[in-house]
Amino acid sequence: MSEHDKEAGTTGHQWDDDEGYPLKEYSNPLPRWWLYTFYATIVFSVGYWFLYPAWPLADGFTPGTLGWSQYRQLDEELAEAKAARKPFDDQLAQLSLDQIRQDPRLAAYAIAAGKAIFGDNCAPCHGSGGVGAKVGGFPALVDDDWLYGGTLETIHATVDNGRQGAMPAHLDSAGGALNDQQVRDLVEYVVAVSGRPAADQEAVARGKELFHGDAACNACHGDGGKGSLTGKVAGEAVDANIGAPNLTDAIWLFGGERDTLYATIAQGRTGHMPAWGAGFEGTGRKLDPLAIKQVTLYVHNLGGGQ
Amino acid sequence: MSPGHGLTEQYDYEVIKKFAVMGVVYAVVGFLVGVLIASQLTWPDLNFGIAQLSFGRLRPLHTSAVIFAFGGSVLFATSYYVVQRTCKARLFSDFLSAVTFWGWNLVVVLVVITYPLGLTQGKEYAETIWPIDLLITVVWVAYLINFVGTLAKRKEPHIYVANWFYLAFIITVAMLHVVNNLAIPVNLTDSYPVFAGVRDAMVQWWYGHNAVGFFLTAAFLGLMYYFVPKQAERPVYSYRLSIVHFWALAFLYIWAGPHHLHYTALPDWASTLGMTFSLMLLLPSWGGMINGIMTLSGAWHKLRTDPILRFFVVSLSFYGMSTFEGPMMSIKSVNALSHYTDWTIGHVHSGALGWVAMVSFGALYHMIPRLWGTTIHSVGLINLHFWLSTIGVVIYITAMWISGIMQGLMWRAYDQFGNLTYSFAETVEAMHPYYLIRTLGGVVFLLGALVMVYNVVMTIRNAPAPTGLRTPQAARAAA
Repeated sequence: MSEHDKEAGTTGHQWDDDEGYPLKEYSNPLPRWWLYTFYATIVFSVGYWFLYPAWPLADGFTPGTLGWSQYRQLDEELAEAKAARKPFDDQLAQLSLDQIRQDPRLAAYAIAAGKAIFGDNCAPCHGSGGVGAKVGGFPALVDDDWLYGGTLETIHATVDNGRQGAMPAHLDSAGGALNDQQVRDLVEYVVAVSGRPAADQEAVARGKELFHGDAACNACHGDGGKGSLTGKVAGEAVDANIGAPNLTDAIWLFGGERDTLYATIAQGRTGHMPAWGAGFEGTGRKLDPLAIKQVTLYVHNLGGGQ
Repeated sequence: MSPGHGLTEQYDYEVIKKFAVMGVVYAVVGFLVGVLIASQLTWPDLNFGIAQLSFGRLRPLHTSAVIFAFGGSVLFATSYYVVQRTCKARLFSDFLSAVTFWGWNLVVVLVVITYPLGLTQGKEYAETIWPIDLLITVVWVAYLINFVGTLAKRKEPHIYVANWFYLAFIITVAMLHVVNNLAIPVNLTDSYPVFAGVRDAMVQWWYGHNAVGFFLTAAFLGLMYYFVPKQAERPVYSYRLSIVHFWALAFLYIWAGPHHLHYTALPDWASTLGMTFSLMLLLPSWGGMINGIMTLSGAWHKLRTDPILRFFVVSLSFYGMSTFEGPMMSIKSVNALSHYTDWTIGHVHSGALGWVAMVSFGALYHMIPRLWGTTIHSVGLINLHFWLSTIGVVIYITAMWISGIMQGLMWRAYDQFGNLTYSFAETVEAMHPYYLIRTLGGVVFLLGALVMVYNVVMTIRNAPAPTGLRTPQAARAAA
């Protein structure tokens, strides 16, 4: 019987033989390929110990013949990367934003660097690729609608020093001077100037009077709600650093639905763009001047740069 | 008269039954929490803004539930089963058996309470706060005495190979647990480790890696050395290989921990030792796979009809695959790509689901009918469980391989100017589809475990009432 032949090859020990098949062990030798591969890993390891830092000694460790250390590897790789970027970085530091933009190769370099900086620093609020977010009122950077300006200089100033936007609360219960009906009238007016059909023309008229009168919305948003960037009050330009949005287009920072507009007017809004460079509050700067130039050019290039 | 008559009085099966049932229960709990946290990674809203249900607190609950609650219960059950049957001796002490069962389950309950409350000492796989650490130590010492005591009063001249592995596991885990948790308490829930800085990190990963090495590898190899030949009805392939790979494994594994800390504040020399010992560990690890798979040679036809053997063969294959992958990932330049990515998660799960869980399922299906003196309720359902598990694991680890390697490549991608190509957020976005696929794999694996629960419940319910005669032979005779 073949079973009997195999039995002859066991060690002769037997366990757990009361029930089921008893445990036995063949006395097969070690598989050759297994043994030699095992030896090979040992040989490789011993060789590796001669080449690399390996064994601790009473005072220090065996350094290995290659002189390798992870810190040296890091320094070398960083130096290599820095050297590759240096010709670009040097020019970027010297040239103005406009000059960089005129040079296609430099601009491509700056925009590529700015993308990585934007992704790790700006995208958490402005979204990947600068699409913005209505929850929280984070402006989209891909369109040509700007709060503080879309030129290279204004974008640079915004990133460098940050921006503080403040829309005061107007409802009396929130500390303002208007009653509920007046806020509703303003909502109807804002709906009307943004080019949508208003439900009640009389409310629009009342709202318009408030907007340019007691509520003084035009002081920031300009006559007719064109925003602080292009709007005028009685022929004079509004201070562009106020950052009051244009209300006549279809782009809304917090949302253009009646309920949202009511909340905005009644409770007010604040916007806080932190300073990343010169105006950074803290030790040193969050981003160095080169990085701010790069991210400025990236944002400018997103689609709406002026 | 059946040869098994009287054995059930001689052996203490009661504590094994309890551990086996809890193993099945904790499997479902652990997998369920795993599916939940996988879903949280896919859909972050499932954190519900509730601290106690957030990913950061549930993740250690998942790992402890599967490793220590499920894996631990299976190891207690099988080691008590194996040591009694291969020594022909009842467990050393009924009292110590009870201490291990109730103590271990108390530890699990305390873990379930403390982790969601954020009570942790912040060491991976050793999050339990110091009072629980002390309780674990008491239980573990009871386990050691109980196991060694049983070996000491054995009626067989030789100690079977499975018991070497179990004993190595018990002794090493005791040492690892005590050293890694050396701490000075400041109040009931907080303590400071006695090691500082990179030494603490090194001790932690010396523990962490050998928890994998001795809890999830050596101990389950012990399980394999009993259940595979018993189920295949074949002798173990090579006694010599079992000795050589046992000692090589035990000696080499303990050095491998530093590969978890490549390119950190850990000194270069420690990193080198971690890497080279991991490479030398490959063949000793494979010794177990060879001995398991080769034991089946001559019995391959049984795979057509025996889903329990299928569990064993597939688990040994996953074991071989992940013990190859591990040394590769320990190579510094490979680790520079794989470290901190999902590749590690995939690697861990090919070991944890593919090897540990599947070999455990096989052992439970073999052992449970014998403990209750009956036959399994449905072989077809074991087969269903086998396929659900296999498909679930494959979906899971494939998703994590792709996601992890992609993640590592995206982190290090530079454009022509030397700028990073991707922001961190973009890498997270790119991984989202694979998180969804991983969740799906986890759900399939969980479904398999639910099939097992049903099969086990029906098996136990259909078991004959306890009498003096509860051997399988008696059950078959009665049927």
